[in-house]
Amino acid sequence: MNARVLICLAAVFLAGPVFAQSKGQLRLPEFATLADKASETVTVTLDANLLGMAARFLSNEDPEQAKAKKLVSSLTGIYVRHYTFDSDYAYPKGDIDGVRRQLSAPGWSRIVEARSKKENTNVDVFVLIDGEKAQGLAIIASEPREFTIVNIVGNIDLEQLHDLEGNFGVPALGIETGKKAPTEKTPTEKTK
Amino acid sequence: MNEKSPGNFEDELRRRLRPIDAPEGFAERLMAALPVEQKATVVKPLAARPSLRQFGLPAALAASLMVAVFLGVRVANDRALREEQIGIAASQQLMQALRVTSQKLDLAYEAVNNPPTAGEEENRS
Repeated sequence: MNARVLICLAAVFLAGPVFAQSKGQLRLPEFATLADKASETVTVTLDANLLGMAARFLSNEDPEQAKAKKLVSSLTGIYVRHYTFDSDYAYPKGDIDGVRRQLSAPGWSRIVEARSKKENTNVDVFVLIDGEKAQGLAIIASEPREFTIVNIVGNIDLEQLHDLEGNFGVPALGIETGKKAPTEKTPTEKTK
Repeated sequence: MNEKSPGNFEDELRRRLRPIDAPEGFAERLMAALPVEQKATVVKPLAARPSLRQFGLPAALAASLMVAVFLGVRVANDRALREEQIGIAASQQLMQALRVTSQKLDLAYEAVNNPPTAGEEENRS
């Protein structure tokens, strides 16, 4: 009897964090062991509160920051895991596959799948569509010496994302917004 | 120098110190010289000075209030400073996250917009 109660309580406590996750938020592995192996690590975990605080300190004078401020106003989370290594494939592919499996859930759609055998580069861009709005964006990019997972959660305004094109080096992906798409930029123009 | 014998000296001293009756009417004159009615002086008791004990409780309350206000202001300042530090760090992280995102979208852009040449074995969609 007591064991059943304990199991039920454990299930409730374990299930809590799962239900607490926002729609569109992925469960990213810790990658704790990779921090020692990686020569460069970028870990960004910004929930809604931190995004709100961050937005307060973005300048309206700086065009780049002003657009970022507008973009994040409707977001509830930005999570980035980026690792660079000195040797090829020093990262566990299984962890990345685990994240990919989450993106096979209903609602997620892959809008870009790029596989380059020449450069051994894989880039996948997923969008979680709920109704007519994008509620999540995920990018999984893996190269021999680096891999990156980006998860943007919230009411993603594709028009605002479209506005970011040209800023931060965000390229035009042909996102349909009803506006005339910008002319294609030369590689030198695309760089920051 | 007249030297008096001790017996004479004592006699002379006794003679000089002998009781003499007051002149007649002395008592009446003395009483007449005195004020008729002496005003009774009212000695007011000194007003009781407020002791430190009376101020003890209000002073302690005031001191506590001042300390509470001071601590409150300090805590608020510390919190504002901490929030500012967190906010600045978060904004830097946000810009870094957007840059990483843009780099990876750039890779996707390259793959989508630069189709592989005939000789290249690339699979892009």
